[in-house]
Amino acid sequence: MKNFRKNFVAILAVVTLASCTKVGTTTPIDTTNNGSFKVFTIGNITTVQNLIADTIIGFTPIGQPYGANKFTFYSIVNNAIVPSTDSASNRWDIAFKGSLIIVNNGTSGPGNGGAFVQVGLFNEIAQVSNDSTIRVDNAPNYAIQFGSNRAWYTYNSTANLITPIPGRTLIIRSANGNFAKLEILNYYKGGTTPSVSASDDVKIRQQRYYTFRYTYQSNGTKVFP
Amino acid sequence: MKKTFLLHLITLISISCVAQEIDSVNANLNEVVVTATRTQRKLSNVAVPVTIISKKSIALAASLRLNDILSEQAGLFMTSGFGTGVQMQGLNPDYTMILLNGEPLIGRTSGVLDLNRITVGNIKKIEIVKGPSSSLYGSEAMAGVINIITEEPINKSFNTNLRYGTYNTFDASVNGSIKIKKLTANAFINTYKTDGFSIRPFSTERTVAPLWRLTNQIQLNYPFTNKTKLSIIARYNYEHINNKIAVSNTGGTIISDGKEVHNDYNVNPVLVHQFNKKIQTQIRTYFSSFNSLQTLQTNSSLQYRDYFAQQFYRVENQTDINTSDKTTITLGAGYVHEIVNSNRYDNEKNNKTNTIHYYFSQAEFKPINKLTVITGLRYDANSVFAGAFSPKLALQYEASKKLSLQASIGRGFKAPDFRQLYLNFTNTAAGSYSVFGAIEATTQINQLNNLGLIQSIEADFNKLGNLQPETSTGINIGGKFKPNEKLNVAFNAFRNDIENMIDTRIIAYHKSGAQIFSYLNINKAYTQGFDINTDYQISKKIKLSAGYQYLQTGDKNQIEQIEKGLVFTKDANGVARRMLISEYVGLPNRSTHMGNLKIIYQNKTFFINARAIYRNNWAVGDKDGNGMFNDNDEFAKGFVQMNLSIGNDFKNGVGIQIGCDNLSNYTDALNLPNLPGRIFFATLKYQLKKTNK
Repeated sequence: MKNFRKNFVAILAVVTLASCTKVGTTTPIDTTNNGSFKVFTIGNITTVQNLIADTIIGFTPIGQPYGANKFTFYSIVNNAIVPSTDSASNRWDIAFKGSLIIVNNGTSGPGNGGAFVQVGLFNEIAQVSNDSTIRVDNAPNYAIQFGSNRAWYTYNSTANLITPIPGRTLIIRSANGNFAKLEILNYYKGGTTPSVSASDDVKIRQQRYYTFRYTYQSNGTKVFP
Repeated sequence: MKKTFLLHLITLISISCVAQEIDSVNANLNEVVVTATRTQRKLSNVAVPVTIISKKSIALAASLRLNDILSEQAGLFMTSGFGTGVQMQGLNPDYTMILLNGEPLIGRTSGVLDLNRITVGNIKKIEIVKGPSSSLYGSEAMAGVINIITEEPINKSFNTNLRYGTYNTFDASVNGSIKIKKLTANAFINTYKTDGFSIRPFSTERTVAPLWRLTNQIQLNYPFTNKTKLSIIARYNYEHINNKIAVSNTGGTIISDGKEVHNDYNVNPVLVHQFNKKIQTQIRTYFSSFNSLQTLQTNSSLQYRDYFAQQFYRVENQTDINTSDKTTITLGAGYVHEIVNSNRYDNEKNNKTNTIHYYFSQAEFKPINKLTVITGLRYDANSVFAGAFSPKLALQYEASKKLSLQASIGRGFKAPDFRQLYLNFTNTAAGSYSVFGAIEATTQINQLNNLGLIQSIEADFNKLGNLQPETSTGINIGGKFKPNEKLNVAFNAFRNDIENMIDTRIIAYHKSGAQIFSYLNINKAYTQGFDINTDYQISKKIKLSAGYQYLQTGDKNQIEQIEKGLVFTKDANGVARRMLISEYVGLPNRSTHMGNLKIIYQNKTFFINARAIYRNNWAVGDKDGNGMFNDNDEFAKGFVQMNLSIGNDFKNGVGIQIGCDNLSNYTDALNLPNLPGRIFFATLKYQLKKTNK
């Protein structure tokens, strides 16, 4: 078992190195971060690490994990977390609770927010296409649809892990009506998904830590910088 | 382990040196096979790839259950999940037909027939035919056919076999034959009991639970005249599995008592009449019943109950006509009636039925001296969906005494099963997702929708319709090479193209957000590769066998998506990038390389049999979330399993054998839950020396 995990990590490392050299992506991510919340901007891309989204605080008698049922509100415009006391304002653009992401509009907030999911690479999406349909929240139908394999993630019940689907870029309309493109990178603490063989305890305690990156267009056009 | 018992056995072996000849285990090309053409043919004359596993090989390997011996064949991989199934030429267990004396075994769960249910104690031989064989056998025979042929009654015989091993595994068989006037009868009984084992660390749950299996079989042969013979085989199989699961939760522990009971029996009367030297006809009737009850009881209540019962009736006539020395024509027709009851469907009291009538023909002829041609065609008319035509063409060319070449092409199909049509299942234990069979789905969704219980309906809902049979086209090209008496080589290259594969798709969402699945004919896939098997008699005492299979697989829809640039993967930081076709690994749970090596040392009555089985890594999990399997997904590690047995067969009919399976103690709890650690065993057997002619 131990050996398996060690080798697994080794394989992972080899695969990772190989894929990096092959494609040569230069991603501005500080991989030394192992759990603390951090926001930084390099060029047009802002990266957010370890945004806590209602982490598990206990278990029901039948073993279901639960959180405090609170959203974490975030401003794409100001690159910062917004206190929940401001939830009824235009100060936030998106909010996170578990694997649910809401926008500031409709049943979720007073803003002019919205979103849709575009299949394509973050880097290759140069603008919001004209035929795209911006959706708003109408709980339980959310702009970013909630559930496995619907919007940005897939949940593997055998492995008990949530994985962002590669190539699902979220187009977000901020509360003030401007556009951003956003890619969810990871759902676990430190930006690393636990291995499949990790215990359920680890998988539950390390989940609901978002790492994502986005590019915001402040001038009101649909073309990203 | 009872160490003293083992010690005694070892001492016994070391002092034994009684001279006696045992049958040679050489692959014999004169051996007769029936599965390939449904007529008796010498192995050397069969135009499709056939492997025979002899009683001797089973005994040398000291196998107990069917999966033990099949796992030692190159190119057959044992799958776990819903019991142990067999993957042949890279196709799922659903697509291989398992026959017992030519009649299909029933009682599949999620398409898998658990090979553990079958004891090898009374098996005379196993015939494995690779490639689509629906032209003779109908539905399910897409990848091939495994036909288990049991011992026939002879004038007088008696043998018994006792084995004890690690995990308190006890297996005992008694087999005997008797002749009373014209009637010959054979009776067999086997019992298998084990404590099971757990290879998961920190877990009380056992990967294989304590279980007890019982098999009884009786065969009666009665020749009315020289030309008319009746044979009746009756078999009863019982299985009882006990699984205690302890779930600890915030201090408290809930103990659940799981039970699983399987009963299956079959009765198979066959009447054969030989009109003259040229024409023979047989009427085969077959009735089989399987039922399974699974319960999970906690201290307070019944948590789970699953009931499944299947009945299968078949009557068939087959007539063989030898129009000349070189030509045989086979004609047949049959009727099948199936009934299933289960609480997985709307109501377990409601019968789900299906009837099939079918017709088949086959011609075998020699247009020129060295060439044998076989053509076959079968039509299956099914009451639930459209009929299926299954043609086949096979050629064998005897290039020289040492080399023969074969080529065959055939169509196979698998009719949708009851689950895919009628399932009505909501898993309240895991998120309340639902799965509806294709016939149920539309009605169920509409009902839920009218009650306002549906959140959204997905695009695949509109594609629901009549499920069609899954079909395959298989090509096999190979040959047999025997340069001298010592060396035997068989090789075969294959390609299978599968269409209309049935897959589960999300068709709607419950109001709670839970998914609703149904079955659709969607996927197209291929498997291709080659296998090679050799036997080499190194010296009088030592024989070496080796087998290898190379396999490639792929989902054609996925390949199309990748080629269009619509599939992405991600780097270690989670950043998405386009996936390359070179990163695609094809279908999961398939190894590119599989091989085995077997050494048999035989000195008079003493033998050593050492085997090694290898498979390289295989994809098990979609780690990057793109829904397909590529280089940076999760793989199970490749491994080698080594088995060893040593024994001696004494002159007076007593035989002893000791052995160790999985010598290197290789385990992988996650991916090979059915592979226990190192196992020791000792066997004691007795065979009444043959007195009949």
